[in-house]
Amino acid sequence: MKAGGALLEAEGLVRRYAMRRGILGRAVEVRAVDGVSLKLERGRTLGLVGESGCGKSTTGRLVLGMEAPDAGRVSFDGAAMPQPGSIAWRASRARMQMVFQDPLGALDRRLPIATQVGEPLEIHGVGARSERAARVEALLRAVGLRPDQGTRYPHELSGGQRQRAVLARALATDPALLVCDEPISALDVSIQAQVMNLLLDLQDQYGTSMLFVSHDLRAVRQVSHRVAVMYLGRIVEEGEPDGVLHEPAHPYSRALVSAIPHPGRAGQRIVLQGDPPNPADRPSGCAFHPRCPVATQVCARETPVLKARPDGRLVACHVAHGEITAGQGHAQKEAA
Amino acid sequence: MPEAPHVITAATAPAKPRRPAPPALVIFGIGWLMLMLAVALLADILSPYAYTALDLRNRLSPPILLGGTWLHPLGTDELGRDVLSRLIYSIRTSLLIAFGATIIGAAVGTSLGFLAAHFRGVIEQAVLALVDFSASLPFLILALAVLAFFGNSLVLLVCLLGLHAWERYARIARGLALAAGAQGYAAAVRGLGASPWRIYGRHVLPNIASTLIVSMTLAFPEVILLESGLSFLGLGVQPPETSLGSMVGYGREYLTRAPWILLTPAIVIVLTTLSVSLIGDWLRDGLDPTLR
Amino acid sequence: MLHFVATRLARAALTIAMVVTFAFIVLRLSGDPAQIIMGADAPPEAVDAFRVAWGLDEPIWVQYFSYFWAILQGDLGRSMRDGRDAIVLVTERIPATLALTLPALAIKICLGIPAGIYAALHRNSLADRMVMIIAVAGFTVPSFVLGLLLVLVFAVQLGWLPSGGQESWRHGILPVITLGLGGAAVLARFTRSAMLEVLGQPYIRTASAKGVPWRAVVTGHALPNAAIPTVTIIGFMVGTLIAGAVVVESVFSWPGVGRLLVVAVANRDLAVVQCILLLVAITMVCANLIVDLLYGLLDPRLRAAPRKAA
Repeated sequence: MKAGGALLEAEGLVRRYAMRRGILGRAVEVRAVDGVSLKLERGRTLGLVGESGCGKSTTGRLVLGMEAPDAGRVSFDGAAMPQPGSIAWRASRARMQMVFQDPLGALDRRLPIATQVGEPLEIHGVGARSERAARVEALLRAVGLRPDQGTRYPHELSGGQRQRAVLARALATDPALLVCDEPISALDVSIQAQVMNLLLDLQDQYGTSMLFVSHDLRAVRQVSHRVAVMYLGRIVEEGEPDGVLHEPAHPYSRALVSAIPHPGRAGQRIVLQGDPPNPADRPSGCAFHPRCPVATQVCARETPVLKARPDGRLVACHVAHGEITAGQGHAQKEAA
Repeated sequence: MPEAPHVITAATAPAKPRRPAPPALVIFGIGWLMLMLAVALLADILSPYAYTALDLRNRLSPPILLGGTWLHPLGTDELGRDVLSRLIYSIRTSLLIAFGATIIGAAVGTSLGFLAAHFRGVIEQAVLALVDFSASLPFLILALAVLAFFGNSLVLLVCLLGLHAWERYARIARGLALAAGAQGYAAAVRGLGASPWRIYGRHVLPNIASTLIVSMTLAFPEVILLESGLSFLGLGVQPPETSLGSMVGYGREYLTRAPWILLTPAIVIVLTTLSVSLIGDWLRDGLDPTLR
Repeated sequence: MLHFVATRLARAALTIAMVVTFAFIVLRLSGDPAQIIMGADAPPEAVDAFRVAWGLDEPIWVQYFSYFWAILQGDLGRSMRDGRDAIVLVTERIPATLALTLPALAIKICLGIPAGIYAALHRNSLADRMVMIIAVAGFTVPSFVLGLLLVLVFAVQLGWLPSGGQESWRHGILPVITLGLGGAAVLARFTRSAMLEVLGQPYIRTASAKGVPWRAVVTGHALPNAAIPTVTIIGFMVGTLIAGAVVVESVFSWPGVGRLLVVAVANRDLAVVQCILLLVAITMVCANLIVDLLYGLLDPRLRAAPRKAA
């Protein structure tokens, strides 16, 4: 870690979408990301967890500059993120890359793997034409592919091999930042661990910073130095992975942790009440209160702020901060 | 190595399932189209006479099958011009116009579709409004109106017919580019820092090429029919140039006395459009079932 | 539902406005309208006077709006050839064209749809093959070739029917058959593929697996669903009633709108051409509008969508 501050800083990111209901319905504004701030140190990994639809993937695209936030700002290496699509933005891609959930979709099925792995070199004019073949070969080896597999087409490789190819392509320009958006969720369980280990090895080797987006808390813990839990477009808890996993402070994190199957800990599972979150219809106050087992009436009125507890953990919950005592949960109260 | 089974299946499975041999009608279509292309390319060598050459002693001479002489195998017209020679040059003109127009249509439509998909917003709405506009007018009427306003020339005719079916390519190109851009390979390549030229030229275009080629094959006979229709009405290819449609148009005055003048080009039109349609249907079923 | 109708109406109006704009742009691009309308040998003073009289010396956007305004009031200019109002010239030809296109439309529907349904229900049978071959032929034989062949056989060789003109109803038989056969082939092919598509759907298989009689499956499930795409193409055919017979009218010297259009184009009688263009566009747009509204009736999903939003 260098002294010069964080590699990536995002402040107050907001991303709104207009969503139509039906063919002719009025447009409803959806806040996919609603005021997310995060910081990523050099050579470190930040894990971002949450259910699907909580805005974690959008956050990943925002910090990578793939789309511009409606409010807030992203700075990379101390400089503001250029406008998406601009020439400066295109040039900046050499320093930050993305790994996708669906490696088959992310690869062009009409080009051989080696050509695609070498494409960033062509785009950014890295090295002479003659050196590129050697560089591609080295990259393929680095991600555990044989150089002769470079002549294959994407559909001729297995899922794990394709994800390795996508990784090789992402690493071609030796980027400082890698955003991995659910990189293992489309893979067989047996291959997931291999790809995870590969990510760790590559980080050791190249010192790449990573933003690891996943719904899988265990996977996140395995690779992350810090972890942030998202719910309906906001970060509700952030801290050291072991701390968050063993002693979650936010009721939502607790529910997530309890959902991890654990031998010999049966019966403690917290089953969430109520409907899954709908970003188009955001509850008042704390967005989690309709499903929260400890919510009180205050939670329905006042939005909790993400702030540090004495032990350094960041939590956005009235109850966790001891501001109010735990209630019986909103859902039960209404039923009573 | 747990991934080994995948490797083995990938290596032993044939790269592509072998396509069954095309049906007889399609083979006929391909053969006929080849013949027409050869005739068009070799028109100068093949034609026994210049297509404007008069033979006033042998006016309205019948073809061999109807008791004519080998001097004019397909007979002559009212000015004694050799029907075979005129047919050969007409094939060249009609095919040239149809190829030119189809390529222009595909290029214009695909570019506009890509523009709409890339810029979205106002540009996309403008393109879609244009698509609605051209889908809402019968093309023949539009073409006639433009010809009335601008007069006639071969270049204008080719460009005009090129606008036929552009909206189909635009729709296809926009739809497929949007699908590729949403989260697929195009978005990935954009994320690598590629320029729009590289994204669309190197990646999207080759990926949608088969769909576009099938659409071109399906539009080609329509262009031939449009050109021959306009020329038949005397508003397409102008004399002394000759096309299949204008041959039929001028030949109809001799329908009773010399039906061969219009029958031979009519047969060529029908066989050519039929051949290309058969090939197009076959290609569509084989290459791109989504277009059905 | 009101919202649905309103958006369709707005789109229809926009399309017609685009046609007017197109006519205006093309008219301006094609050269000096004063010169074109007055003729190349008109004296320069007369051309200038015409320019002032028609506001052609004004800025282009003023011209555009006055042009638009004139068209809204039904002023579509006068024919160059006999100085009569273009709109009168065109409308008096409409009955003759409809006398061909309406019976032809009936032939298309009565022949094409049953043939398509029959072919789909007896897929790969001899009848299906025959229907498909005729349908492909109907698409690839241009109407002027079909028309001339009919003339050659029925008028020239057999002498049963007249080859052209409009003296009696017998003169209309060959043009109506020419128009009808080509359209029926297109419609048969379209209906067949729409039907096959529907018959391949899971709900058809479910219905017949449940033991619903096949006849009831076809009439109750397959036909209504196949009707939706078929209505579109019939709508297009209705839209071309006024100007869908350009070529056939020329073949049979039938004095309808199409013949008028061809003559007007050959003489560069721009007012008449522009009038027909607008008329065709309006017919087309109205037909599309009706199809869109019919869709709402045929497809419950489209009907339900606006209600959900309200």
